[in-house]
Amino acid sequence: MTTALVVGLGAVGTRAARQLIDTPGIDRLLLADRDDVQLTEVAAAFGRDAQAVDFAPGDAIPEGVDVVVTALPTGVDHPVVTAAIAAEVPVASSEEEHDALDQLRVLDRNARGAGIAVGIGCGLAPGLVDALARHATSMFESVDEIRVARTGWAGPASVNTVRHERRVPVRTWHDGTWREDHPHSDSLVWFPEPIGAREVRTVTGATALLVDAFPDVGRISVQLGESPKRTRFRRRFGDDGEWGAARVEVWGRRNGTFDCTVYGVVERTAVAAGAVLAVVAARLGGALEPRLEMPGVHSLGTLVNPVPFLAELAQRGVRAAAFEGVAVA
Amino acid sequence: MKVFKRLLLVLGAAGAVGMFARVRGKGGVPPTTGGWRELEGPEFR
Repeated sequence: MTTALVVGLGAVGTRAARQLIDTPGIDRLLLADRDDVQLTEVAAAFGRDAQAVDFAPGDAIPEGVDVVVTALPTGVDHPVVTAAIAAEVPVASSEEEHDALDQLRVLDRNARGAGIAVGIGCGLAPGLVDALARHATSMFESVDEIRVARTGWAGPASVNTVRHERRVPVRTWHDGTWREDHPHSDSLVWFPEPIGAREVRTVTGATALLVDAFPDVGRISVQLGESPKRTRFRRRFGDDGEWGAARVEVWGRRNGTFDCTVYGVVERTAVAAGAVLAVVAARLGGALEPRLEMPGVHSLGTLVNPVPFLAELAQRGVRAAAFEGVAVA
Repeated sequence: MKVFKRLLLVLGAAGAVGMFARVRGKGGVPPTTGGWRELEGPEFR
């Protein structure tokens, strides 16, 4: 049986905790959050298997923890992941901001030395889209380009990250090298219905995770849609979360012709991110089979086998779709 | 004065064109035909 420590009970962390408590292989859930009221309420709502603990980033991982789950604001994951590596406990992190992801990627050697797996970017995008990209690329003889796009956000911390990513200079992977540019203007991308067409902008985001996972692909880009400015106002009145969507486009050659596969998913962003985070954590901790035992820091493009991963998510209500039609380069 | 007015006119026209281009954006790749199908089967394809 498995004990999981969930650090951060915001929009994503709470949903990941809910998914974990419903996972048969998880018998004990430790919860930590800087907001004592939120912590007490969530722990009480989850029943006897959940227990609030006094843990803050920078503290040592408590005894008996089999897997650590972090759903924290940008940049706060690092001390928790470092502590988990020191304690030789696997970690699943929902971090999505590019600088913070780079700081976690640097821990790869430490994680390999400790013999533990660290899953980073475990959300909708990055996260589920990386697994979908792996799934799509397996159908090609050679891949020329991967384009990832997301619209939607999980909570206030996610909104801040989206705004930051869309504002700062962009690093894209072009012809096998990094290219730095000013933020581009928006362009339209079609997501699955009912989201449909949304404006998105090329950002740095988790491009590096895709480059790590697909080093032979010449062009990789990540695009993010903008969040409305009234989000905080709406949340105050009990909005259950915002619908989001993600799309992966893979261009390459198969059967001697240039072809394209497009996958997409529509779900409440926090629900999808929470489910992805929980499934990865459950697999890292051995509560779900197959157990993920790949020492190092990985994105979901390398860490998970896409088919059983997508099957598990589909059982939890997060289902991906393929676009069938005429795509134009 | 005449040159100044013409300069203002040219700048105004350029601004209007710029605003129109900004509002319209770059556009994208519309899915001309087809639709979305849920991934299914043992291979989830």
